[in-house]
Amino acid sequence: MSDKSNQNGAYVRKFSFRPYTGVRRGRIFRMWSISWQWWIHEWDRSRAIKILIGFQLFTLLITNIMVLTFKNPILSNEQILEDTLIPLVRGIVSFQTTIRGGQSNHDNGFGGGTFSIGGTSLFILLLAVLVGSGLIADDITNKTNEIYYAKLEKYEYIMGKFGAFFIFGNVIITLPYVLEFFLLYIGLGNMDFIAVLPVLAHVILFTELINLTYAAIILAFSSLTGRRLYAGLTTFMLLFLANMIIPSLAFAQGGEVGLQLLGDVLTLLLIGSYIIDGESIIRLDLLGREHTLNLANGIGIETWMIFGSLGLIISLGIAIVVFQVYRRHSM
Amino acid sequence: MSAEIITTDRLSKFYGSIRGIDDVSIKVPTGGVGFLGPNGAGKTTLIRTLLGIIRPTKGSGYVLGYNIKSEINQVRDRIGYIPEFNTSFIPDMTAMKFVAFCGRMNGLANAESKQRASDSLYYVGLGEERYRKLGTFSLGMKQKVKLASALVHDPEIIIADEPTNGLDPTGRTQMLELIRNLQTDQNKHVILSSHLLRDVEQTTDYAIVFSEGEILAQGKIKDLTSGRSTSISVKVKYHQEQFIRNLKDKGFEVWDEGGFIEVKKFNDTEKAIFIAAYDSGAEIRYFGSRSSTLEDVFVDLFRNKEGIQ
Repeated sequence: MSDKSNQNGAYVRKFSFRPYTGVRRGRIFRMWSISWQWWIHEWDRSRAIKILIGFQLFTLLITNIMVLTFKNPILSNEQILEDTLIPLVRGIVSFQTTIRGGQSNHDNGFGGGTFSIGGTSLFILLLAVLVGSGLIADDITNKTNEIYYAKLEKYEYIMGKFGAFFIFGNVIITLPYVLEFFLLYIGLGNMDFIAVLPVLAHVILFTELINLTYAAIILAFSSLTGRRLYAGLTTFMLLFLANMIIPSLAFAQGGEVGLQLLGDVLTLLLIGSYIIDGESIIRLDLLGREHTLNLANGIGIETWMIFGSLGLIISLGIAIVVFQVYRRHSM
Repeated sequence: MSAEIITTDRLSKFYGSIRGIDDVSIKVPTGGVGFLGPNGAGKTTLIRTLLGIIRPTKGSGYVLGYNIKSEINQVRDRIGYIPEFNTSFIPDMTAMKFVAFCGRMNGLANAESKQRASDSLYYVGLGEERYRKLGTFSLGMKQKVKLASALVHDPEIIIADEPTNGLDPTGRTQMLELIRNLQTDQNKHVILSSHLLRDVEQTTDYAIVFSEGEILAQGKIKDLTSGRSTSISVKVKYHQEQFIRNLKDKGFEVWDEGGFIEVKKFNDTEKAIFIAAYDSGAEIRYFGSRSSTLEDVFVDLFRNKEGIQ
């Protein structure tokens, strides 16, 4: 042994390599450790996360200032809050397709049509792909999964990884919009909290639905490809390019919108948002061609189909992760 | 505690029709134990089965009295595992964070895991480098980090799978010394899995020899090596060929090893050597017996197995 290591040995003898006599923490703590460690590690490592959070907060602050400065005196504060926040969260998954609720014929408080920030959605997707695609793939590349499996059950590992993405999703997606809700609530003033609670519920439910969908897709590709780059590219192509290409092709060729919608994750999410809001008539404007979806007339696309399709995508994603972890990665 | 830390009964693991381990029944005693065998012999499969990474196809196993099927989490908290891969960590994480993280996964509280991570890294000789990123470490340092991460939760058993793979002689010596110290200073039970016989011989006193998923032999190394036919080393001057021919004519097994003539020992071998030297006119310049090593045992075992097949 080197002199240095002898000195280190002396340190250990002096300060002792103590036997552990404490109580070991439970299984949930261990799963949480995976999630939290990954988040802290990504936070330390990735400048993009910090920039995006800054960008998110800046955008929301500007929105807040604009809404409060140019608010329409005809509309009630509750209406302004709703017409600002709900299009904002819908904007997270809206790149190209514009969807309006049947009865949303008033503007958002400062006279500008549908309010959505497309740029934010692209940023969020890029970042989700950037950080999430390595969640399982990096373990396969670095062979760290062997260390996890030697300490934890495989389902604990999977839950820890999903938890990791949920922390990301909640910090990047859910939390800023909840914060925006309270900023507007305080800024606009004179509102009954119970009356605007459905708006808050919508924000939380819809952003969590996005988190769950993104998590299932990104983790599925991460475990399938085993490489961060491939996982990132395939997820991005599925979520972003499919959103552009499939409706474009369908409409260019006069195809059926209904069938195409079921293959487009982001449009499904967007319609899901309207369903959470209780709207049954939805108008879609895809590449300048408007279509009406009546979700309660017993024909065409129904509510259960939208949530069924989303549920299928999420279940399929989780099933792929479980299969990969329990079978392929355990050989 | 019983005299055995690990017992298995007809433990088997098949990947479809491919055999990982087959009907493995072992009793691993306390102290240091070596799992020996060539690559693909089933050592790693057995270790992964004991840790619950893969489920056995049939059979049963107990680690420190805990069932590997129904009480696997109890087993995991009592084992520190050093995987065989040269990576197995997060490259852009510091050694300190990585080891503390491993501690938390074994149920240590945050503050405790940090303190013990520091202690473990000092113990393996990386105290000064503990805030460096793992990606900047040499292979030897990485292996030490893996040892620290296996030690952090104070397990009773350390399982090291090929811990000296790819290490230079200095790194190898240091790693083996650390593993030996774990037994002597820290009272840990160590299982060293290796295809390097010398590593096992230097660090453990009990060996289990694997081949193609089966146990070929198990026992104390001194028992395995004693009672085996050793050889006599001879060095002669003049008429060496005639000397060898005379011995072979009398039915002795003779071979050349590093300039010495090795004669496999039977009854009256010494007498036969002197007679052969006298008859051939050779002058004996060196005469000594060579005791059997684990390598001889290993070679014999595999030679016998091939002979049977």
